[in-house]
Order: sequence, then structure tokens, then C-alpha cells
Amino acid sequence: MSLTQPSEQARRRDYRVPLGILLFVVALAAPFIGSRYVVHSLIIALVFMLPAHGLNLLVGYTGLLSLAQAAFFGIGAYAAGLLAVAYGTPFYVNAVFAGLVAGAVALPLGVPALRLRSTSFVMCTLGFVIIGQAISKNWISLTRGDMGLSGIPKPYFELGPLSFSVGGTTGFYYLALAIGVLATLAVWAVVRSPAGRNMVAIRENETLAESLGVPTWHYKLIVFMLSAVFAGVGGSLYAHYLTVVSPLTFQMYYSTTMLIIVLGGGAGMISGTIFGSLLFVGLTEALRITPELRMIAYGLCLLVLVFWFKRGFAPVINRVWNAIGGAK
Amino acid sequence: MKINLSRRAFCISTAILSALAFAPDFAAPARADDAIKLGLVAPMSGPNARYGSFAMRGAELAVKEINDAGGIDGKMIELSNADSQGTPVEGVSATRRLIDQEGVSYLIGDVSSSVTLAMQPVAEDAGVLLLNAASSNPKITYDAGVGGFKWTFRNYPTDENRALVVAKYAAEKRGFTKFAVLSVDTDYGRSAIQFTKKYLPQFKGEILSEDYYKEGEVDFRSVLAKIRDNGAQAIIYYGLVDTTPIVARQMTELGLAGKVVLMGNGEFNAASVIAAAPEAMEGAIEAAAWLPAWDSPKSKAFVAAFEAAYNESPNNHAYVHWEAVHLLAEAIREAGANDPEKVREALSKIKYDSAMGEVTFDDHNQARLPMILLEIENGKPSIKGAYSAEIEYPAQ
Amino acid sequence: MFSTILEQVVNGIVTGSIYAIVAVGMTMIFGVLRAINFAHGEYYMLGTFGAWFAIDYLGLSYEASIIVAVLSTVVVAYVVGRLVMQRMVGAPAEAGVLATLGIALVLQNTVILVFGGGYKFFAGGYIAPVEIFGFSLAQQRILILVVCILVFIGLELMVSHTRMGRSMRAVAQNVECCEVVGIDVPQVVLRTFILGAALAGLSGVLTAPVNVTVYGGMGELITFKTLPIIIMGGLGNVRGTLFAAMILGIAESLVATYIGLQYRDTVGFATLILMLMWRPYGLFSTQARF
Repeated sequence: MSLTQPSEQARRRDYRVPLGILLFVVALAAPFIGSRYVVHSLIIALVFMLPAHGLNLLVGYTGLLSLAQAAFFGIGAYAAGLLAVAYGTPFYVNAVFAGLVAGAVALPLGVPALRLRSTSFVMCTLGFVIIGQAISKNWISLTRGDMGLSGIPKPYFELGPLSFSVGGTTGFYYLALAIGVLATLAVWAVVRSPAGRNMVAIRENETLAESLGVPTWHYKLIVFMLSAVFAGVGGSLYAHYLTVVSPLTFQMYYSTTMLIIVLGGGAGMISGTIFGSLLFVGLTEALRITPELRMIAYGLCLLVLVFWFKRGFAPVINRVWNAIGGAK
Repeated sequence: MKINLSRRAFCISTAILSALAFAPDFAAPARADDAIKLGLVAPMSGPNARYGSFAMRGAELAVKEINDAGGIDGKMIELSNADSQGTPVEGVSATRRLIDQEGVSYLIGDVSSSVTLAMQPVAEDAGVLLLNAASSNPKITYDAGVGGFKWTFRNYPTDENRALVVAKYAAEKRGFTKFAVLSVDTDYGRSAIQFTKKYLPQFKGEILSEDYYKEGEVDFRSVLAKIRDNGAQAIIYYGLVDTTPIVARQMTELGLAGKVVLMGNGEFNAASVIAAAPEAMEGAIEAAAWLPAWDSPKSKAFVAAFEAAYNESPNNHAYVHWEAVHLLAEAIREAGANDPEKVREALSKIKYDSAMGEVTFDDHNQARLPMILLEIENGKPSIKGAYSAEIEYPAQ
Repeated sequence: MFSTILEQVVNGIVTGSIYAIVAVGMTMIFGVLRAINFAHGEYYMLGTFGAWFAIDYLGLSYEASIIVAVLSTVVVAYVVGRLVMQRMVGAPAEAGVLATLGIALVLQNTVILVFGGGYKFFAGGYIAPVEIFGFSLAQQRILILVVCILVFIGLELMVSHTRMGRSMRAVAQNVECCEVVGIDVPQVVLRTFILGAALAGLSGVLTAPVNVTVYGGMGELITFKTLPIIIMGGLGNVRGTLFAAMILGIAESLVATYIGLQYRDTVGFATLILMLMWRPYGLFSTQARF
């Protein structure tokens, strides 16, 4: 075998496109393949994926670890729910309103919080969630306090003669899927933009980025607000699906879930967040086969995640994906 | 390389495991007519597990009793549990799994009202009978029966009746006019106080201070000092059973024991609670749906069976879930078939002989439960009266 | 009027002493590991359960149960420390959060599995009240206060005079230099972790008589109460934590009396956020290290 001539190796086939199409078809056909339980789990994965995308922008691309997503999620849920119950507005109005309210609240919170260093920042964001819960419990005239906001109507689309209401698990799944796809495209657009590159620069070396003229402070604030918007829209989806919003939405459970999705999936990679949502839901539901050991097993899985998959599953997925694509 | 291999193996095995776990879901299970499938949604992890645990054991005991006696018309009950963690999302996932994968026709759940509210549309959609045994939010039955959700029933008192009866007794028989409020900061505590405030003016009572405590709070000294100083005669306490002994002990600590009385609900009558602070509990007034000391054969049998099986005294949550399973079994017997539609019909018309008296359901699928008014005298609950009141439903 | 405020301040100091013992453990662990121990409250719970088990099942006296409680917490902390915490040296913050959350879930639910999820009542302890300066306090609370003072004096002495203490300070300041100088960092981490967890367990068993209820999920609330304290005191700052705990205890008492008990839990984080706006590096540190 000569050293200068390339050796002939059979080119491995690139299966990525067919596989992608297959996955897409499976996603569309899921309600017809799986039981309602499976479809419900997918809806939950999609509902959590939205705030997770927002958190991914924060953690993965700017390096800020925030636990406040649950706060914005809850604010969005209440905003959408209150609007729907009081005025019966169409779903897209509720979703946009929820996102805007969450983003607007993020501004005065972010300005002081982002000055803090990492650990203090984490605790500050946790504080937002706790304060959010206290407000939702005590501002009874607005949120109905502990009685909760129930009876949120089905998502309604006002299209003149074509108006329809989304009902049933299957219908809701397609709605969630559509929103999930839109959100993923939005995140992808943000990351690919020049702004996105600046964000990565901030994560890699903030001081250097500043010296190159990147207004780090503005970027951090905008990303913080943007992540809140994602969480708010996710909250509106949650409100319409569960039909109940209560102060329990501000429990730590939601914050930790979103964090696990992002870190488990792989911070800084969009595919990581998608995979993380599916993984999280798949894991928590699959573990129901042993009700007593479920949470213990879940805790152990978290530990495994930390030690063996320090950067989440995304690098592994990428390798698999590339291998399917013909690379070695 | 070694590390890579084991990581790869882990990935593959996880993928296979998850696929296997979900595989059964891809075939909708057939509902076997020879078993009665009952699902129980309760918090089994997290802080609320301390209530869910009692609920689960009560239900399990009842299922065992029924199955040991030959089942219902020969059919055995199959009980499946799912953990709601006290979170609405998990509660809905648990419900969905029980309905779609375990194929349950009847559900009992949850303890937290928010979770129950989220479960209602799911059960309604699937035509599964949801019998709630522990949530106190009035909305659950305002929106049930003729109010909307036909498949939801509740076998637990709402606080409207309780608030009125307690307030009346305190004012008329004990002559109290000055009250301090200390209740749990949940829908249960808040709605009970809301109702109390509605009725108190009728009895010339005034509320001197109003405080709500978070679940898990352990330090009441500040509030109790405030109450000691403002001169209230009784503390209106609608709270959690495991907080009652803490409050009682701290009342003793601050010198309130014997001077100020607890009234409302919080399992004052449990022997362990009275034992924790006897002086403070003396004279407490409570309206309860059940008490362990209740002298009826069925109730005593339940307490004995529970203690024999689990080495622990049953509490209210255990009782209501035990009763709910028996109630459901009776409805199935009266319906004559394991058909949720027929059972629902039977349940709405049922006259059930519970351990506390007769139970019937109103048109909002809310049970009319016999309630007991008691006072703690000489360290033991002393029954002062029984009542069962109609609920005024707000115009829809 | 004055006596009411004074009484609330005394209440606050008593509450603060409980918080202080738990918080100092968490802050020391942060000092050497740079990781927030989200599972810290679980060691408090383990201490309580150990004592409850000793009294209810083994029939021991309260004093003996204290020893059983602390020992059982130490054993669990040793296992967790060897298997998990030692590997967290040099790991990023996210890893610490996830790992300690996982540990919390495992500990909480194992206890629920073994002892059952239902609540239990704690028998034992010195709950008879005693009059001091006109205030009525359970004897147990005075015990807690005394232990708190002893613990902090002990820690001060340890940190300045013993080898262990000096190693802790060294690791807290600069891990790489420690390795150069020859300090066995994982060993120091393990010992600090066990000490911190043991203190949490001790706090659990001391407060069990006045808190009465015991259940598997009780640790979560303690973790949340303690987090603001360690930030306010300055992460890794032992003395600062004592003062922050006292201040928080007093603030909580005053809020509970004059504003309403329902706001008591939020005092911690609300104060924290306000403080972070004004003095981001903690009330008692002079520079922002974290």
C-alpha cells in the first residue's frame, strides 16, 4: 500500500437525511402510533422544552446559571390563564401576552441580578422563584391565591369562519409540536446570528469580549429577557393544557426540571435541549414501573449524569449522528 | 477506551430500557372484565408524602379486606398506585398512565386540591370515575355533577358547614367573642377562614389578628406571643394534623395553655396529638368527619385492622381513603356490573352506611357527610353533637 | 411595646441559633468545594430520624439518641463524601447543583422507603418551659443556644489552631497551591463535608423536641432557609454566617409579628435579594469572591 495514494475504502452511506425524515414522520404520526399516555408525555416534553431553550441560551451560550425559569414560566402561565379566563382571548394572543409579560418582568429583575457573580446570581434567581410563589399566594385579588386559577378554556384560534378550538390530547399535541418547532427555529436563528456569536464570545472569555467591543452587559440582559420570553410562552402552553394554574407552579420541581433538561441534554447545543426534554420525560415516566424506588433511581441517574456525561448527552448524540452520516 | 466502552454500553442499555418501558404503551391494553381496576394517585415522594403514605395504606387495607372477603360479586380489585409528588404536572401524568397503561376504570386521588383540579378534565375525557377523598377546594364540586364534570365525585367535607358549626358552638356554648386566626396557608385554611368570616358577625364575634402559616412551618412563637397580648379567647385553627402538636406545645411554652382554646380542625382528637401537649389541647373544639375514638363497630374495626397491619395509628387521610374504597365497592355492587357508567349512576343515588352514618351525594356529586362536633374534656374527645348540612352553590 | 419587641428579638436569636448551626456547615462545605450543597437539609433530617429511631425503636434516652443521631449522620456523610463529594473538587457549578440534588432525592426517598412516608411525632427532649427575664422558653431552646455558642467557639479554635482548620482555610483560598504544598485536598474536603453534615444532623436532633413532627421530606425546607443565610454571611465565612443567621432569625420574628406569619418564609430570600443589590459580596466580606 503506497503512502501517497489514498486507500480505497467503501464510502459509508449517509443515512442522516432518511433518518431525519423518518423521525419527522414518527413525530407527526405519534398520536396514531402510541397511546394517549405517550402523547401526553410528549406534550409535557414539549411544554418543558420551551423554557429549557431559554435556559439553554443563558447557560449554554452566555454561561449564566439561572434558576429563575420557573418564575417566568409561572408568570407566563398566570398571565395566559388570567387573560383566557377573563376575556376568552384566542390562544396566540395569550401566548404572546404571556411571553411579553414574562420578558417585561425580567427586565427590572435582570438589571440588578446580572451584576452579581455566579453563585450569588444563582441564589438571586432562586429568590425570584420564591418571591414569585409568595406573590401568587398572597395577591389573592389577582391570582386567587391558593384556590388557584382553574377552568382555563381550551386554546381558541380566531380565524373568522375558520375559527376552531383545540381539544383533546391529539389536537394539543400538534399545537405543542408546532410551537416547539417554531421555538427551536427561533433559538437556532438567535444562535446563528452575529448576536449569537457575540454571546458565545461572552461565555468563552468575558473580559476579552469586552475588550473587543462587545457590549457584554447589554447582551446578558437581552438574553435574560429573551429566555424569560421563552419561559413565558411555555407557561401559556402549560396553562391551557393543564387548565389549572396555582402557586404550586412556582415549586422548585419546575426549576430543577428545566436545569436537568439543559444540563442533561448538553448546554450550548440546541439538539441537546430537544434530546434533554425527551430524555427527562422518558426517564421520569419509565421509572414509574417501580413506584417506590422511582425517585431514588431518578436521583441516582442524576449522579450518573454528572459523573459520566459531564457535558450532557449532546456530544454522544452528535457522534452518533455523525457516524450515521458516514464519518468515522 | 475502557471508559468509552462502558459509556457506550450504558447509552445503549438506557435506550433499550426506555424503549422497553414504553413498549407496552404502544398496545392499548384490553380491559379485562374479570378484575376491577382501581387506580390511586397520591403524593408518595417529596414533603407531601407524609399524607400520601397514610392515604395509600388506608386504601390498600380496604382493598385487601374486600378481596379477602371474596371480592365484589366474585371479582377481585386490582389496585395500582401512581405518585403525584403533590405537583399538578406529575398528577396528570400519573392519571394518564393509570388510565392508558393500567387500564383503570376508577380513580381515587389526590390529596392536594390543585392536583385534583388538574386531574378532573383528564378523568372526564376518559370516562373514568374520579372519587376524591381528601381535597378541600370547594371548586372541585362546584364544577362537578350539574356543574360540569359528571365523572368527579367527592367524599370529603367542604369547609362551609364546618366553619358555621364551629363558630356557632364557640360563640353560643362557650361565649367567645374575641378570636385570633392561625390557619394553614393553603386553599384549605384560607377557604375555611373565608367561610368563618362570613358567619362570625352573626354571633357577634370579632377577629383580632389573622395569620397563615406555610406548610412545614415550625416556629409559631411570634404569632402566639401576639395572640397572648391581644387578648383573644380562642384561636381559629384550620390546619394540618402534624402542625397541631407543634402549636399546642408552643402554646404551653408561652403560657397560653389553659387560657386560650383551639377551635376548628386539625385532628385535635388524635391521642398522639393530645399526648403531645395535654394542657393546651384541653377544651379544644373541633368539627371532624371522623375520629379514631368514634364508638361504632365499623370504625373500631378499621382502627384495629390498621394498627395490626401497619403498627401505627390511622389518621384522617387513612380513614377517608379506606372509606372511599368501600364506598366505591358498594356502588359497584349496587350497579351490578363493572361498568363505569352504571357505577356512576349507582353512586349518585347511593345511600351508603359508612362508619359514621349515612352518606348520600347531592346534585353536584358532593357527599353529604355526617360531621361530629367534639370538645376535648379531660384529655379525651367528648361528642357534643352531629350535623349534616346542605351546601349553597353559587349561581353558575 | 418595648418588651414585645425585645421578646421578638429574643425569639429571633433562638431561631437564629438553629439556623446558624446548619448554615455554618453548608458554608464550610462551600468554602472547600465551591459547591452549594442542595442536600444539606437532608442531613438535618437524618439527624432527626436517627434520634427518633433510637428513641422509638431502641428505647434509648434522649441524650443517647443525640449520639446515635450524629453518628448515623456521620456514617452517611462519609459514604456520600467518598463516593460523590470528593469527586466534585474542581467541577463546575452546574455539576455541584445536579449532584447534590440527586443526593437529596436519594436520601429523602430512601428514608421514606425504609421508615414509611407518614409523619411521626418525636418523643423526648426538654420541653418544659422555663422563665428567663420574663420570657417563657422551653428548656430545649436554651440548650440550642448554648450548643450554638459552643459550636462557634469550637470552630473558631479549630480554624485558627488546628492543622485541620488551617488546611480548610488553605483549600478554601486556593486549591492548586494546596496541591503544590502537599495538602491532601480530597481528604480535607471529606473531613469538612463530614463535619458540616454532622453539624446539620446535630441541629436536627436538637430541634426535634420543639418541632415535634418528623418526616422524610422535612429537609427540603431547611435547605431553602439556609441558602440565603450563607450568601448573606459571605460564602465560606464562618463568623459572618453566625451574624447573618441571627439577623435573619430576628427579621423573621419581627415580620411574623407585625406583618403576618404568611410572609415569614419569604423574608430570607427577600432580604437576600435586597442585600445583593446593595452589597453583592455579603454583609461581612470586603470583596466579591463569588
